[in-house]
Amino acid sequence: MIDPVQAFVQLYSSMPPLIQELIRFIYSEPFIKAAIFPGALFSTLLGMFAVWFERKLFARVSLRIGPLHVGKVAGVLQLIADAIKFLSKERIIPEGVNRPLFVLMPCLALILSLLLYAFLPFGAGWIIYPSEIGLLLFFLVAALSPIPIVLAGYASRSKYPFIGMSRIALQLFGYEVPLFLALTGVVLSTRTLNLEKIVEAQAVVPLAVTQVLGFIVFIITLLAETERLPFDIPTAEGEIVFGWQTEYSGVYFLMIQLAMFEKVLAFCFLGAILYLGGWLGPPIPGLPESISAPFWIILKGLILFTFVALLRGAYPRLTIEKVLDLGWKYLIPLAFVNLIITAGISLISEYSAITLWP
Amino acid sequence: MLIDVLSPAALDTALWTLLLYLILTIIAPPIFYIVSVLIAPKKPSRVKRMLFESGQTPIPTRVAPFPIEYFPYVIIYIAYAVFAVIAFIVVLDMLRAGESLIRGLLILAVITAGSIYASTQLPSLKQRLERGGGG
Repeated sequence: MIDPVQAFVQLYSSMPPLIQELIRFIYSEPFIKAAIFPGALFSTLLGMFAVWFERKLFARVSLRIGPLHVGKVAGVLQLIADAIKFLSKERIIPEGVNRPLFVLMPCLALILSLLLYAFLPFGAGWIIYPSEIGLLLFFLVAALSPIPIVLAGYASRSKYPFIGMSRIALQLFGYEVPLFLALTGVVLSTRTLNLEKIVEAQAVVPLAVTQVLGFIVFIITLLAETERLPFDIPTAEGEIVFGWQTEYSGVYFLMIQLAMFEKVLAFCFLGAILYLGGWLGPPIPGLPESISAPFWIILKGLILFTFVALLRGAYPRLTIEKVLDLGWKYLIPLAFVNLIITAGISLISEYSAITLWP
Repeated sequence: MLIDVLSPAALDTALWTLLLYLILTIIAPPIFYIVSVLIAPKKPSRVKRMLFESGQTPIPTRVAPFPIEYFPYVIIYIAYAVFAVIAFIVVLDMLRAGESLIRGLLILAVITAGSIYASTQLPSLKQRLERGGGG
């Protein structure tokens, strides 16, 4: 009987020093965080799971079965098959497009979407880049993410992408302002931009309870910012073919789809952190805190994602003037009312001994 | 040796983690592209390279007009976006100095009242378009 630990130690000491350094590097905290959890491997696997989950859920809503054949259970490997199919398609660059922009923009969209995960905490300490201004950094990256979309539509030099591009520009104009105003309410009541401290501030009551209006505004702007139904006019299938993605195929389309799903998921996790109490939850017997915390936040994020995915089956698409009217005429006043209530309560608790919420 | 080159001790652990993650995200698209180069066929033809136009032969005009009727929203956006970003950034400083919070709240109250008034009184865009311009 050989002791596996001892065997590993012996093997390790017999290796050349370069390999030893490499093993130590792979086992180091920065590499595990950046490459495995909550970094590259986790976000990619989560994105693939989300696509499968959404297809399965949407199929159930419309009384179909969904992915079934690939993989033993319920078509779980369908997404890997899809990815291989996309990768094995010919890379077609149509005539007359702006070649460098056309090729680079899907890559940039994917990079920006994946970069959002660098600022999201998945438990105390489970964060790639802890920062005092984490929320601001998240929105710095999120505010850059329309640029590759608009430029991809422009670079296609074709009719349907151009219509999709002008629609997404108007939609994002309308929904950036209520999003910022809703988040100002969060910052005002928790008094910090650090996402970990925002979660700790919700130890008693999650912010979804104390700022119902802000939460509603956040959810609606989440749908609009990530082009989910009923706000998917920029890629309205059956109306303007596939909007700004019409000319894309093969590997470029794969990158765009992955980028869009990563963005939705990142926003769902942000919603779970800001409004649903993040990783706070009842302790699970037999599990240490460092495992139960990511479990709770992933569960909450996926519940939000389920809600977002169910809306796809429940609502028809809004027209552009309804989208703009909703954003400008209802969400901005609602966000202002939320902000003024929060500011009033902050003012009262500042000048009196009563603390209405911690 | 290797670890000394890859993680300089002077560099903050968090910053180093971010840098590693940034490198990983930046090499992700080239990996997809290289796999596609390796396994995808390459049989170009003129028909494949035509722009999509629902089966018709593409017409050379490639630029559609930007919908100008929504232009007022872009103008409003400029004013409101500046306010929203300023509110987001200065709200913490306002909390520290209590007196300015009261003034800030006053400005906020005026803007809130204005937004609510505008949203209840302005006709919807569709009606406005049907009436032909004006407010």
